Amino acid sequence: MTRKQRRMTIIGGSLAVLALAAALVLNALRDSIVFFSTPTMVAEKHIEPGKRFRLGGLVQPGSLQRGDNLAVTFEVADGSAKLPVAYKGILPDLFREGQGVVAEGALDANGVFKADTVLAKHDETYMPKEVADALKKQGHWKDDYGGKASEGTKPAATTAQGNPQGAMR
Amino acid sequence: MIAESGHYALVLALGLALIQSIVPLIGARLRDAALMNVARSTALAQLLFVGVSFAALVMLHVNSDFSVANVYENSHSTKPLLYKITGVWGNHEGSMLLWVSILALFGGLVASFGNNLPLSLRAHVLAVQAWIASAFYLFILVTSNPFLRIANPPIEGRDLNPVLQDIGLAVHPPMLYLGYVGFSISFSFAIAALMEGRIDAAWARWVRPWTLVAWIFLTLGIAMGSYWAYYELGWGGWWFWDPVENASLMPWLAGTALLHSALVMEKRNALKVWTILLSILTFSLSLLGTFLVRSGVITSVHAFATDPTRGVFILLILCLFIGGSLALFAGRATSLKQGGLFAPISREGALVLNNLLLTVACAVVLFGTLYPLAMEMLADFKMSVGAPFYNLTFAPLFALLLLAVPFGPMLAWKRGDLLGVMQRLLAAGVAGLVAVAIAWGWATGGSTLAPLAIGLGVFVIAGAVTDIVERTGLVRMPFATVLHRARGLPRSAWGTAFAHAGLGVALIGIVCETTWNSEYIATMKPNDVAHVAGYELKLDGLFQRQGPNYREMIAEFKISRDGEALTVMTPSKRSFTTRGSSTTEAALLTRGASQLYVSLGDATAEGAIAVRIYYKPMVLLIWWGPVLMAFGGVLSLSDRRLRVGAPKPARAKQRLQPAE
Amino acid sequence: MTLWFVFALMTVAAIFAVLWPLGRSSGAQDQGSEVAVYKDQLAEVERDLAAGLIPAPEAEAARVEISRRLLAAAASEPAMAPRSNLKWRRAAAVLALAGLPLVAVAVYMPLGSPKLQDFPLAQRERGSGMAQSLENLVVQVEQHLEKNPTDGRGWNVLAPVLERLGRFDDAVRAYRNSLTYNGESAERRSDLGEAISAAAGGVVTAEAKAEFERAHALSADDPKANYFLGLAAEQDGRKDDAANIWRALLAKAPADAPWRALVQSSLARVGGGTMPALSDETIAASKDMAEGDRNAMVRGMVDRLATRLKQNGDDVEGWLRLVRAYLVMGERDKAMGASADARQAVASDAERLRQLNDGLRTLGLGG
Repeated sequence: MTRKQRRMTIIGGSLAVLALAAALVLNALRDSIVFFSTPTMVAEKHIEPGKRFRLGGLVQPGSLQRGDNLAVTFEVADGSAKLPVAYKGILPDLFREGQGVVAEGALDANGVFKADTVLAKHDETYMPKEVADALKKQGHWKDDYGGKASEGTKPAATTAQGNPQGAMR
Repeated sequence: MIAESGHYALVLALGLALIQSIVPLIGARLRDAALMNVARSTALAQLLFVGVSFAALVMLHVNSDFSVANVYENSHSTKPLLYKITGVWGNHEGSMLLWVSILALFGGLVASFGNNLPLSLRAHVLAVQAWIASAFYLFILVTSNPFLRIANPPIEGRDLNPVLQDIGLAVHPPMLYLGYVGFSISFSFAIAALMEGRIDAAWARWVRPWTLVAWIFLTLGIAMGSYWAYYELGWGGWWFWDPVENASLMPWLAGTALLHSALVMEKRNALKVWTILLSILTFSLSLLGTFLVRSGVITSVHAFATDPTRGVFILLILCLFIGGSLALFAGRATSLKQGGLFAPISREGALVLNNLLLTVACAVVLFGTLYPLAMEMLADFKMSVGAPFYNLTFAPLFALLLLAVPFGPMLAWKRGDLLGVMQRLLAAGVAGLVAVAIAWGWATGGSTLAPLAIGLGVFVIAGAVTDIVERTGLVRMPFATVLHRARGLPRSAWGTAFAHAGLGVALIGIVCETTWNSEYIATMKPNDVAHVAGYELKLDGLFQRQGPNYREMIAEFKISRDGEALTVMTPSKRSFTTRGSSTTEAALLTRGASQLYVSLGDATAEGAIAVRIYYKPMVLLIWWGPVLMAFGGVLSLSDRRLRVGAPKPARAKQRLQPAE
Repeated sequence: MTLWFVFALMTVAAIFAVLWPLGRSSGAQDQGSEVAVYKDQLAEVERDLAAGLIPAPEAEAARVEISRRLLAAAASEPAMAPRSNLKWRRAAAVLALAGLPLVAVAVYMPLGSPKLQDFPLAQRERGSGMAQSLENLVVQVEQHLEKNPTDGRGWNVLAPVLERLGRFDDAVRAYRNSLTYNGESAERRSDLGEAISAAAGGVVTAEAKAEFERAHALSADDPKANYFLGLAAEQDGRKDDAANIWRALLAKAPADAPWRALVQSSLARVGGGTMPALSDETIAASKDMAEGDRNAMVRGMVDRLATRLKQNGDDVEGWLRLVRAYLVMGERDKAMGASADARQAVASDAERLRQLNDGLRTLGLGG
């Protein structure tokens, strides 16, 4: 084999692997991507039953009902629309009414969202990002809340100004 | 006093890093030895001052000095001492300080053990290290300063996020950072080589061990993090394809590729330019990981606090380093001398294939991580790319890679004999097929792919064993000779075998766990019995207990199998008063490599409790695999032998081993 | 003082680290070179061969390979005669001597707080042994009360201690419990009001005022209720009313009442004390100024409360206080904003959210 042939073999091999990877990715993008929706978007767009998606919003206070054997139903709201959700299993530690939640599943024929996964946010101070963004977009979130929140988290103690809490007490 | 000294030490470290970024480069340009040597003493002094700074922060946390905002926000006087210490890096500011401390540590190591490096190369490497260090010192001081004070200190702190109060946290981040930051060394070497316009033997001799060290820590760090998520997050998942996990996986993939290409470079003086590019990419991916985790672009357990200014700052650092280094690469790479020739079927060829598959797999993960972000920004809709995507893309690529793994070490350098290698791997192939047949017959349910994957795992392990058997001449030769040859076998050969076998072990664990794990979720009252995978779990009762900074509800389960009592498991749910949040402490029962996993949900009004029970067959293999890999890495690292890949002399073909 | 000494020491050490290599004569430096690496490798081959680790033919092959590279390297090795450049060395030394301290001071001064002392737990325990043992006692009492929440006497004892420790919110709760289990009394009502306004940073909020009014209804002579009602009037801008209330209080007060001085000075503040003979203009001016100062003071308190709530948002009563304060100051927009923030902050807790909504409704901001 000449130098050129060897080089061509290597380049050809690389292209083959790249093509394989590209094919795999494109194929996967077709059916394994899950989109994110809010109750408003569900109401507007009419998502067909059985199509998997992620639903995000706030758990409507007072809507949580526990049934037999770990079945739960609750409503997810985003200010302008509500969507009933049914789930069977253990809710995450951080799941609470009035708090952000992301559920994955599909609508059934009656328009109830059958979730097979429920994710609550990991941290008690923050919303899941998708939920926060969606709420912001719809104007149910004061625009500068995010900014304020981060100001708050950063120690407001740059200098002798002191921690507000310390000063108050 | 402690706080301010620590703060000032950090500022001095910044000052030293700035000097170290400039003076040695001028020295290298003027070929002035003294100016170049400034790099060395400043690197050591930097290590000293960052060390002081880090020690000061640890002291502050141990002393519960709530006049420091960072301590106040992440500590509590009743927190156990261990978590007071680990809490230092259980928050954004502290973890960044750990990051620069490790960076300074690596700089110090190069400075103290770099005697056999050409002076100008050392000066360049340390200067590049100082650029990285300066950027991150500034980042810490300006946006995430752990030493800010509170004028009127509160009496009590706000405690550490309870999920992070765990021994896993003591180990996981330092390991991971040693890995991430360790790759900065190969990055600095690559940039130095580009600036000098030449790569010499000393370059190759240095880069591989450093990469290996970083790779070992990263491997262990990822495994540790995965095990932590498995037992601490309470639902037995060990890998989520969460962007932050991907952020650690990508440097690992690129680093593994780098490790193998550096091997080619070291032994055969080939693939130089590619190795340089990989060094740059690996560290860039580490930086990208830092950006993803720290900027709040992505929400996850790891993102301690989201803050736009921090994100922008890190993005700037990211663009500066990645963009700058790639531009330098584009400009200078052609001036580097090209290396030797080799046939496609050869050890080098196999390593190129390995590199190809690893980098493409890495690119796929990168795509999956960034695609949702890009779509959100460009097309304004949201989606998530999760396990199904990676199962369809990453898994086939990796299967291909694993299939090729046993062939690599058995091929000779320069030109190999594929047919011969196939004959020698026949036994391993048969072992794999037998495993497929057994798995097929024995298993009930699950994907049809699972037995095939198990066969692949067995093939990889058997291939690694075959390699050692071949090299020592076991079976063919008298035992004494075998023993002698085994002793004479380079440790790096053993290292390769262990690392490759580790891959197979992990694969078997992953397949068994995901395919045949059984799950039982129900509400149980005291004296209820659950049957899972042949085990009987009887809930004896629920108890309350007061911990140092939490209260916990413990459920006691009596475990028996076939009427024989085994043990008692006590999963619990802790609620932490200060933060008002709770954690689930799963109970684990290890039987061989399999585990029974019990975790608690909410208690109902009638005194019953929601319980999750999993039986996870062979689950521990998932983490034994990486441990084996890391062990292989350590063996390889300890191999002080020469690293010249000479082709096998034709005369002695059968009798001899290729030198490692 | 010690701190500055330590800083100076560290700076000197850092400068020394730069100067040290500059000062050393650039003689034969120990450094590696490509040739040296290959020589090492050759030596290793010999060692391994001697130890029997590699067979002779392989050693020979390796030796040939290395020698080939060695020759190539030796040929291409640039003439690396080290030169010394005094001018640049001096520049580097100046950079270290002047630049390093300059950078250190320029970066440290705006960020650091050199005047603040350390405040470790151990020192807190030692330095304020009283407070610490008090804290322990408080914890004991709290634990006792958690088990026996109906022990009214316990709440009675605990509440003022909590207030003294600065745990105003807890003190408010304790006073409430005390009222529940011990029954009404003017004294307890006004103590509760005091705790509420202390928690609000000294602002007599509507809630606190209600408590004082109830205390006043129970016993018209209760000095604390009277004083705070006066303060409320002052904070509402009704200075004359404040002066009248305080004057009445002083008139009825026993001559040796410990709070007499406080009331007198308050009275003087609102201008209801002795009336100095001054021109109308001066009085008007000072009145304006006092008004400004007072506003600034109240605003400062409210701002502090707002910042604290941003840090720790799960304090429902705090939020309500803040909203009320904005309403009192006539800033309805801010009040609305604060209530929106509050809803977000406590959204995670249904119970708190309900409390918050109830509270906001009573303030006329419900829905």
